[in-house]
Amino acid sequence: MTSTDVLIVGGGIVGLVAAIELAGAGMKVKIIDAGINAGSTANAGSLHVQMQSRFMRLYPGQVPNIEASLPLYRAAVEAWVDLDAAHGPFDLVRKGGLMLAESPDQMAFLEQKVQRETARGVRAELLDRAAVDRFAPWLGQQIIGAELCLDEGKLNPLVANVRLRAAADRLGVRIERDWISAITVEGGIVEARGRNFTHHGDRVLIAAAWGAGPLARSHGLDIPTRAEPLHMNITEPCQTRIQHLIQHAERSLTLKQLGTGQIVIGGGWPAEDRGERTVPGVLYGSLLGNVALAAQLIPSIGGIRIIRTWAGMNTTADGASIIGPLPRAGRIVMAVPGDAGYTLGPLVARMAAAEMLGRDPPRDTAPFSPGRFAAQSP
Amino acid sequence: MARTMPEATFTFNGAVIPFRDGQSIAAALTEAGQRALRRTAQGQDRGMFCGMGVCQDCLVTVNGTPNKRACMTAAANGLTIATQVAFPALDTAHAAPPVGGARSLSPDVLVIGGGAGGLSAAIAACRAGASVVVLDERKVAGGQYYKQSALKGAPLDTQQAEGATLLAEARDSGAEIIQGVEIWGAFDGLLFLAEHDGAALIARPKTAIVATGAYERPRMVPGWTLPGVMTTGAAQTLWRSYRTLPGQRVAVCGSGPLNVQVGLELANGGAEVALVAEAAPPPFTAPLPALRAALADPALTWKGAGMMVRLRRLGIPLRNRTVLTKVAPEGTALRASFAAADGSRQECTVDALCMNDGFEPQNEILRLLGARMRYDPIFGHLRCERDAILETSISGLFAVGDCAGLGGAPAAACEGRIAGRAAAARLGFGEATDLYAEQRLLRRHRAFQAALWRMYRSTPEAGIEPDSDTLVCRCEEITFAQLRAGLELDPGHVGTLKRATRVGMGRCQGRYCGPVAARLVARETGAEMQDLSYFAPRVPIKPVSISAILAAREALDDID
Ligand SMILES: Cc1cc2nc3c(=O)[nH]c(=O)nc-3n(C[C@H](O)[C@H](O)[C@H](O)COP(=O)(O)OP(=O)(O)OC[C@H]3O[C@@H](n4cnc5c(N)ncnc54)[C@H](O)[C@@H]3O)c2cc1C
Ligand code: FES
Repeated sequence: MTSTDVLIVGGGIVGLVAAIELAGAGMKVKIIDAGINAGSTANAGSLHVQMQSRFMRLYPGQVPNIEASLPLYRAAVEAWVDLDAAHGPFDLVRKGGLMLAESPDQMAFLEQKVQRETARGVRAELLDRAAVDRFAPWLGQQIIGAELCLDEGKLNPLVANVRLRAAADRLGVRIERDWISAITVEGGIVEARGRNFTHHGDRVLIAAAWGAGPLARSHGLDIPTRAEPLHMNITEPCQTRIQHLIQHAERSLTLKQLGTGQIVIGGGWPAEDRGERTVPGVLYGSLLGNVALAAQLIPSIGGIRIIRTWAGMNTTADGASIIGPLPRAGRIVMAVPGDAGYTLGPLVARMAAAEMLGRDPPRDTAPFSPGRFAAQSP
Repeated sequence: MARTMPEATFTFNGAVIPFRDGQSIAAALTEAGQRALRRTAQGQDRGMFCGMGVCQDCLVTVNGTPNKRACMTAAANGLTIATQVAFPALDTAHAAPPVGGARSLSPDVLVIGGGAGGLSAAIAACRAGASVVVLDERKVAGGQYYKQSALKGAPLDTQQAEGATLLAEARDSGAEIIQGVEIWGAFDGLLFLAEHDGAALIARPKTAIVATGAYERPRMVPGWTLPGVMTTGAAQTLWRSYRTLPGQRVAVCGSGPLNVQVGLELANGGAEVALVAEAAPPPFTAPLPALRAALADPALTWKGAGMMVRLRRLGIPLRNRTVLTKVAPEGTALRASFAAADGSRQECTVDALCMNDGFEPQNEILRLLGARMRYDPIFGHLRCERDAILETSISGLFAVGDCAGLGGAPAAACEGRIAGRAAAARLGFGEATDLYAEQRLLRRHRAFQAALWRMYRSTPEAGIEPDSDTLVCRCEEITFAQLRAGLELDPGHVGTLKRATRVGMGRCQGRYCGPVAARLVARETGAEMQDLSYFAPRVPIKPVSISAILAAREALDDID
């Protein structure tokens, strides 16, 4: 027994919500966070449900996993709505997401996608331009139609992070800065070796996103978490007109308007990789390409100004979340959300926390078990 | 008003405003007594503050295009100008990218900033045989020290005449000087993206000399964001560039020699200067630095002493050890309150209040390109590390003048001459082997500056605890109380504080609140101030319209 019931490595959205769940159930919780490159502080606040064309194009091999996870995404947005009621408001708006098509090919792609998604319970439909015009007349002339996914939405991650952090504080969660290089289990005690200190706990939850894979390696798992530096842009405020989350059927774009009136433009354009422990750099090609694409789709934004860009670290693995204890070290539990991880974060955290508390998780965790990454024995 | 001469006019919220050819919109509006230009999200009025395109508080809507800086936009006949609302409508009519006109430059030496340092660098590099382009943000180059007139007519004084001569010399040397250029992007390998008259300008020079100068450190007291409160440099620009007084009755406060000089200039221009408040004790209480300054540069020291005498002759009260504590609206004027070290208080009613509490280097380009910086605890700002020829840690990137740390105009010019020759020599134009005389001169200028600033309060006050509802972030309207609450939640780093409170997330990109927030975090965590204490540098260097980004992309596509 140590004085900490659960150590959480990583203080992003997953780590914070897990801490709130565990501390709320009476556990003593300590978060250890490296304080760098959290996707949670850099993300765009899109609540994704429909399959993102970017992932389908970039990682075709992951499509089956993403498709299987569709119900999880729906439930994840519901978890955000819950969390917003308990700890918000987070500036959360759920008017749906529009994925735009500029060509008949793209429409055909969306039509198929709608079929696959509705089959998994997603509320999606295909709209022609006239139907789109009823709520988005400001789209460029070339848009011929769109997929509307009513489950989607948006929120302001900065607001959510601050409020959740304050909620964790109120529950007595301690947060320390440190970089964990290895986790070992001995005599029923977990030891997390940090750059500054060695931390002890009865159990550990790894919510370290891109940093999760290396921590599991010595326990016989090859989890392919990969840091993916991404580019973002934000404008100065303007009159609120864009209610929906906007994406494109073929090209990398997400666009939304926050409650501040600012328009956030992203969608997975690359940033310069300077290693996991350094903040990525902004590439001019991404800035120009990303913003130009947004202006083509919504010409009226041309007159407002971009005031800031940033680059943040996304985490990808195999297209599905990684949730649950390690097969060979049950005191070590994983919680890595995977693609659109901010959307999935709270639900993944709750599933992992429920496992640790011995409660029924809100959804079955079996399909997401880290066991699928068991390294081939030599 | 004379009916015979058809006057140039524009309208502001429907009122007809006359202007003189060359005046900025902000100058013409100030002259007409219109100080409130934009309204914030919280419904507060804001006006011209920095006068140099940094603060973004002078925004107006011009012919339907929102968020134009009145201080950087020339007045033109027939313009329809309106108060900038916080949430302008998205309007396709003003959103199209400019057609054509894009320029692509690849000079041997690109000089960024056309002040004393930049112009001197351009002349030196050109004379050595290099091809040189100078980019300057203002309508007329010359920089802060030589502030050139944007109007027709003879120079105001010798300082302006010297600037005109330097500018002419730079042109004669063969350097191309492009004015009114807004550089918004700087990327590795020396790629600069800029906007010029709405069109894209792309520069891929072989070497670059950054000479972007400094901007002014404000004094954050209740009311410092009211229209009519402006930096001393903004008032000086109004007068020297546009022959516009910031107001009929003014007060000047802060610390440093600029305040006295501008007080005098405004008085000579016909303003009634109610008070010059200087935070530092009078120079005779610091005889040693005064002596050192006199030894290093007798002429400049004499000039400074002369200014004091003239101030007294004009009957302008100069109060030492006196600081501004509060500004409040009083009718259409401002009531400014001051406190002296002896506990006495003083108030005065003015049309405009000017403040300068020191300088912050405009080092965004240098930091973006990764040039190594170190914190100077005496001046309370970063200095760029440079070698004897003023090259930064990035090969081919030079830094001269105040952008590398405060040094004053004579030092900037000297540095410019060294770096200009060195950059040219790097490319095989001339040799830069005999720079000793310049380097010796530079040491003298630096000795003078060091002594000079010992007579003022160059270090930002560490211990000040302003009223909790005093704004620290003008753009996002964040108070000190909110900043402190953010610090309590997570004192880790200024970036964390930014995300928690939104401090520094606005249009000025944290230029005013950033240094304050960085110092608060350092104090809270006990960490030493250093480069990483500040907000991470990010493009765009200044807000840039999406249509300008589109134009830049098209221009780059054409080149590549
Ligand atoms: C630019 C960008 C835009 C995005 N937009 C969206 C979006 O709109 N919608 C959406 O759903 N998702 C989005 N994402 C993805 C989303 O942000 C992430 O998937 C999500 O935040 C991951 O949450 P997390 O808690 O798992 O990890 P993170 O928030 O990444 O936090 C992990 C933390 O662990 C720490 N850490 C890592 N290794 C160690 C170690 N060894 N020791 C100690 N600490 C360690 C890190 O420093 C970090 O603080 C975006 C991502 C980026 C980069
Ligand atoms: S006064 Fe125009 S930007 Fe500051």
